Parts: sequence; structure tokens; C-alpha cells
Amino acid sequence: MKLVVAVIKPHQVDAVSNALQDIDIAGITLTEVRGHGRQKGHSEVYRGGEYRVDFIPKVRVEVLASDSTAEKVANTIVDAARTGTIGDGKLWITPVDVAVRIRTGELGDEAL
Amino acid sequence: MWLCAFEPVNLATKPSESPSDSPSESPARIRSQRAALIDDPSLRGVDFSHRYGTVVDSWVGELLGPIEGVAAIAVGSYGRQELCPESDLDILLVHARPREIAPIADRLWYPIWDAGFRLDHSVRTVREALQVADRDVKAMLGLIDARFVAGERKLGAELLLRTRELAHERGRRWIPPLREDVRDRHARAGDVAFLLEPELKDGRGGLRDLTVQRALEAIAPNVECEHSLHGSSSILLSVRVALHRVTGRAIDQLYLEHQDAVASHLGFGDADALMTAVATAAREIAWHLDEAWRAADVWIQRPRRHRSASPKALAPGVELCDGEIDLASDAAVAEQWGLILDVARLSAEYGVPIARGALRRLSEESPDVGDQWSRHERDAFVSLLGAGGSVVAAFETLEQYELMSRVLPEWSAVRGKIQRNAFHRFTVDRHLVETVARAGTMTRSVSRPDLLLVGALLHDIGKGYPGDHTDAGIVVADAIATRMGFDRDDADTIVAMVRHHLLLASIATSRDLRDPGTIESVAEQVENVELLELLHALTEADSLATGDKAWSRWKAELVEDLVRRVTQVFEGRHDRSEVTLDVDADDVILLARAGDADIYVEADDQTVTIVTRDRPMLFCHVVGVLAHLGQSVRGARARCRGALAIDTFDVESPVGRPLDADQFGRELRRAFAGELRLGEELARRANQYERLKRPAAARPADPRVLIDRDPRGIATIVQVRAADRIGLLHAMTTVLAEHGLDIRHAKISTLGHEVVDTFYVVTVDDGHPIDDAVRLHELVLALLHVLPASSGPREPRSLR
Repeated sequence: MKLVVAVIKPHQVDAVSNALQDIDIAGITLTEVRGHGRQKGHSEVYRGGEYRVDFIPKVRVEVLASDSTAEKVANTIVDAARTGTIGDGKLWITPVDVAVRIRTGELGDEAL
Repeated sequence: MWLCAFEPVNLATKPSESPSDSPSESPARIRSQRAALIDDPSLRGVDFSHRYGTVVDSWVGELLGPIEGVAAIAVGSYGRQELCPESDLDILLVHARPREIAPIADRLWYPIWDAGFRLDHSVRTVREALQVADRDVKAMLGLIDARFVAGERKLGAELLLRTRELAHERGRRWIPPLREDVRDRHARAGDVAFLLEPELKDGRGGLRDLTVQRALEAIAPNVECEHSLHGSSSILLSVRVALHRVTGRAIDQLYLEHQDAVASHLGFGDADALMTAVATAAREIAWHLDEAWRAADVWIQRPRRHRSASPKALAPGVELCDGEIDLASDAAVAEQWGLILDVARLSAEYGVPIARGALRRLSEESPDVGDQWSRHERDAFVSLLGAGGSVVAAFETLEQYELMSRVLPEWSAVRGKIQRNAFHRFTVDRHLVETVARAGTMTRSVSRPDLLLVGALLHDIGKGYPGDHTDAGIVVADAIATRMGFDRDDADTIVAMVRHHLLLASIATSRDLRDPGTIESVAEQVENVELLELLHALTEADSLATGDKAWSRWKAELVEDLVRRVTQVFEGRHDRSEVTLDVDADDVILLARAGDADIYVEADDQTVTIVTRDRPMLFCHVVGVLAHLGQSVRGARARCRGALAIDTFDVESPVGRPLDADQFGRELRRAFAGELRLGEELARRANQYERLKRPAAARPADPRVLIDRDPRGIATIVQVRAADRIGLLHAMTTVLAEHGLDIRHAKISTLGHEVVDTFYVVTVDDGHPIDDAVRLHELVLALLHVLPASSGPREPRSLR
């Protein structure tokens, strides 16, 4: 059991969620977050105006996946979220000890 | 919580008074009796509570047995026979036998615990019970509903009687903590009538408010509980009983997910019908509680109130009298529907309630609202909308007499309208008013506060009509804006606000803001920076009024980013309408009429024009004299021709006294000669009105001063956005003069209670714009110094 976590641009959320549906992944958790990666504290020039950006609004995506599907989920998210510009975000995978479907008490892959 | 898997504990050692079953069986018996009552669908609301209360009463009687010197008193909801299936049992054991009471109490408490009740219990002598009530407002409220259940009847009667006596003697002291308790509870639980998931017990207009009314009745001899409230209270009780039944839990908040089940249980057609009934009942309860407070306040103040001061006229037909906004006896109620708005706006502005007699008179005598509002009516309406947090109470008061629906017939379509989704907290009408209240704190971030406030009020008006709410809203808003007398451009702006009220939020959260295409498409739809500012403020006000989840720093930043990028597109274009500083053809004719008069004045009811030799502080003296003569300047235009200055003013007398042109000329000469101390006199007059305001008065947003340079480089543009007050224009123009500035052109706009004044100024020394940054900074500080500031964060705060 794995937890696939990605931090992506807000406007890529629909693309990611649709792509996950296409590979039959139904469960997805979204959180509105703010942060920065390498773009930390950069100044942005837009149409001649310059302004400073400290923390940038992003969306954190979490998907619980079985060991065998985790990689496919990760690739799907990466492909869907990529725009090729700075700030596309990060993705990482962590192991999960236990997962329970609260309604039924099913455990492990059954709970997905 | 009711324990379903409860195993009775063996209590064989406890004495039992019940002949029919052993001590361990009596809790089981009461459990099954209770279950049978809950399962009987014919028992609803009051009927259920009475039957259930009777069962519990007789059981408590059995447990206690015939006994002297002890009485079981039901308090709280049990006391007033309003037990719901999962209610706590609230019992006070009052006694006169300190040494023997412990085992007697155990005889009662243990079986009740064993039966699985949540028990709120206390054991006190009559004296102790009264002492606690005197100290603790919650205990006092419990005793207000006290009812004798079992034991020595005389002892019970003594407690009830002495509670009433104590309320009479010491009740005056209970009022401040009671008021605070109620206020905290309402702040926490919100309004039953307007929340989509109301708190039936603690909310404003909820069941606890009925207890507070009974407490006030016990305390103040002039407070009478309305018997008409029985209907409303029994609706809320029925819903609470049904909610406990449906959920099997002691919850009092009516969540969306339970509304269907509760509605069908009570035989309502659907959840909307249920919620409408709940809202109507709660509105009535809340209204009557307000009335009870007012009566109690009158009773408190009466002994130390001086003979009532003479009424102070605030507007034609409206006066401040005995701490209330009232209609003058000669007010033309039957001719002017606009008095409804005057009364409401002054109530919000001064933070005092509207006299009930005035509301009744307005509701009975006001004529129909015409097809075309006057400027005065529109201004009064905008002032009311701009009152910030007070606007909510003002709308509610008007609605109690259905006056809001009379002013704006379309309002009845959204009144109490439920919106069933997890996002919204309020009914549509309350959401709109909450949006207006929040917009009232953002008026300084836009150049047209009046359009912001009206747009905020109308943005969801389409939800009262079939079809897509934005499409329907566009049609309705257009009709309303036109009727209010906005010109075509302004009406179009209001319609555009309705059309695009979701645009910024949806684009900001779902589109790539670095894509120039995204930005261009928004710029194309929004068209100009004025509308962009309005939409930005509306987006924030709307989201804040929607619910906690709808606005966050996260969303605010995305929206700000979008707005910044679109603004930059607009800044690339120079389509700002340029102000002409010169005279026009009409002015030339005017100059001919003026001839070589030293001071030439033309005046009618609404306009004053003056031609005179330009001189230092001219504008400032003219506006000062106008204010001195009781005229409020709603708009102005200043221009020069050679050595002559022409100033035109739109004026209005707040108390309906037209300007006398001759007197104006005389006073102006005195001002030029330095014989009038205008600054001091106006400040004194402004203070006189300020002193009449109560803490609840509308608080303006903080003032703003914006500096810009005319694109042609011929003047410095100073724009001031602030709340209006007597002498404000005089104070500002005095500052400009003191800073060595000459006003070449001025555009004064008073929009309701909001002022947006733009001055094109040059330095007196060389006739050029100000270049010196330090000098500009000093000017801004000096202007802010004379502007009325907001005095605290009582309004809903903006995240910005």
C-alpha cells in the first residue's frame, strides 16, 4: 500500500483528476496549500510591472494506491500536471502501514 | 448519549419505593416506556414532550417516594415540559435536611444513571439555590423554568415563589450578565432563521431565547411574553423532537443531511417547506426577544432618565427622539415612500433603533414605490447599504414590517430562500445582505462605492427566479438599477457585476494565470479597471459572506494575482477620459450674465453657481459657507477663466431648508473678510451630531487618499475616499490651501454616505504639479488627519 502525494498548480487539478478517473482511480484528496520550491522569493516581471512572490498557492493531491498501481498513478499525475514551466510542482510516494474503509472496516487493498 | 448496549447494574442494595418492580427493573421499565413513546409516530412535538415528561415525572415520584423536607424540581427543558427524546434530565433536589440528604439523593440519581439518562443534577437548600441563581446567570435561567415534580409540595412552592421574589428584587443586576450570555450564544450559534444548518436551541430565535424572554418577564414588570409565540415555539420543539428521533442523538443543529428525514417525519412536503417553517418561527421568536429587551431597557433607564430631551431633526420628517429614530408628527408619510429609507439609514448611521410607532406608520401609510426613484431616495438607499455590520439589523427590522419588499418588490423572491448545498451558510436574502455588509468595509478600494454596494445587494437576486441565476439576475438587476435612477453607464456596470460575479474566482482557481490568453480574455470581458476593482471587491465580499470555506488566503492570493495581471493590461491603454480644465460655451454665457459683479451668485433648489475673482482659499471659503448655511454639497465642478473662477455646486439641505442666495452672498463676503471662523464652527456642529451616535452606529471604513498625475502633466490629481460628515469638504480644501495648492478643477461625488472627491491641483508658486515626494507625503498625512477614521475592527474584517 502506498500514498502518492503531489503538489501541483491549481489550474492543473481538473486535468489530473480526469486522468486519474481514466485509469479507474476514484479516491482523491485535495488540499489548498501555499508554498515554494526553487522559485523561492523570486520577483516576477509581467508586462513591465514587477512584483515579489513569496508563497505561491498550490494544490496538494493525495491518492492511496496498492503497491502494484502506485507507479501508474504517479506517472498519470506527472503527465497530467506537467506544463513544462517552473512551478509545476513535486510528487513523492510513501509506504502506508494500514488502510481501513471506515464504513465497513475492510483493510488493505480491499479498503481502496 | 443514550447507551444502546446498556447492561443494567445490580442495585439490589438500594431501597426501592416502587411496588411493581425491583430496583434493578425500574430503569429497564422506564427505558422500554421511553422507547415505546419514541416509536409512536403519532406523538409529535408538544404531545411527545408532555407524555414523556409525565412518564419521567411519575418515575421520579416513585423513586423519591412520599417524603418530608425534600422536593425534586425539574429545571431547564424538563422543567418547561419540553423534553426531547435525547434531552438531559435536569433535576434540582431541594431540601431542608442537610444531614440526611446524601442517601436520599443516591436513591434518585443511581436509577436515573442506570436507565442511561444524561443527568444534570444538583442538591441544594432553598437558600443555596437562590444564592447560586443570583451569582450565575445560567442557573438563574434554569430556575425560571423550574417545576415541582415530587416530594414535599410546600418546599417546592417556596422555592418557586422566592425565585420570583428574587427576580423582582435583584433582577436589575442580572440583566448585564444575561445580555452578555445571550450575545455570546448568538455570536457562537448564529441565526436560526438565516442559517442553512440552524442551531435550534442556542441560535438566535431558538428555543433558549424563549427562556430568556420568560426571565425578562420575571425581572421587568413591563415585559410581557407574547402568547402568540406558542405556535412558533411548538414548531421548533416538534423539529427538535423529530431530529432526536431521526438521528438517535442529542444534536440540536439541523444539518442538511437530516432535513429530508425530519421533514417527512413531520409531514412537510419537502425539506424546503420544513426550513421555511423553522425560519418563520425563529424570526418571530427573535423579534419578540428584541422587543422584550427594549422594554427591559426602558424599565431599567426610567428611574434615572431625565425629562425627555426635545427631538432633534435629522432629515425632513425624521427626528431623533428619546434615543430612537422617529417620524416627526408632520412627516409626509403618505406622500413620500422614501421616508422608509431615511428612517432606516439614520437608524444605522446613529446606531439607535427605529421607534415602533414609526415602523407601523410607514407600513400602514407609505405609498407604493414609484417607477423612478429620486436622487435623494437612491442616496438614502446607498447610505443604508454602506452602514457595514449595522445593515443586517436594519434589513431585518424593515422586513419585520415587510418594508424591504415594498421598497424592492423583487426582494420577496429571495426572502428566506433556501440554498441547499454544503458551500453556503445563509438563505439567499441574508447572504445578499451579508455580502453588502462586507462590501461596506471595502468601499475605499473602488472608485464607485455606490455601484459596489448595489451590485453586492443584487449579485444573486436571480436565485429567486427560474432558470440560471446569473441570466435571470441580469434582467432583474437591469430593471432595478434603471428604476433606482442610475444612468445607462452605471446601470450597465451593475449588470456587468451581476453577470461576472463569479468570473474572477473561477478563472483564478482553474486557469493558468501566466497564460497571456487567460489574462486577455478576462480583460476583454471586464473592459475597464473600474469594473475590475468592483469585481475584485465583490468577489471577496461574496466569498466571505458565503461561508468559512469559501474564502482563504489561498484563494485571495490567486484572485489578487489575476487582478494584478489584468490591471497591467488596462494600464497599457490610455483610455482614461481627460478632464478639461477650461470653461465651456455655457460658462461663457454665464460670464456675460455675471458682468463685472464682485460676487455673482445664481441659485435654485439644487444648484448654486458662483462667479468671482479667483483668490487664495476661494473654493474652501465657498464650501465652508455652504456647510455653514446647512447645505450639504453632493457634487461640484470648479474651473477658471483668466482671473475669474466659476464654481458650480449640487447642494441638498439635510433638513429641507433651501439656500437663500442673498444670505449666501453676504456670508461669503464675511468669510473673505475673515469675519467667519468657519473651521471651528463646522467642527462644533459636526461634533454635536457625532455625540448623538451610539456605540452601535455604523463605522466607516478607513479613509484613503490616492495621488496620481494627470497624463498631460498639467496637474496633480488627489483623490479622497472617505465617509461624509459636516464640514468635511471645507476641512480638506483648507488642507490643500495650507499646503500652497491651488484647485484647478474639482469633482465632488457624494454617493450615499460615501465621498469620492477628486481635486486637480497645482502649486500656487509656479502653477505646476507637485514633484517633490516628501511634499506629497506630507499632504497625504495632513489630509488623513482631518478625515473621519474608522474607530475599531467591529465590522466584519477584510482579509486584504
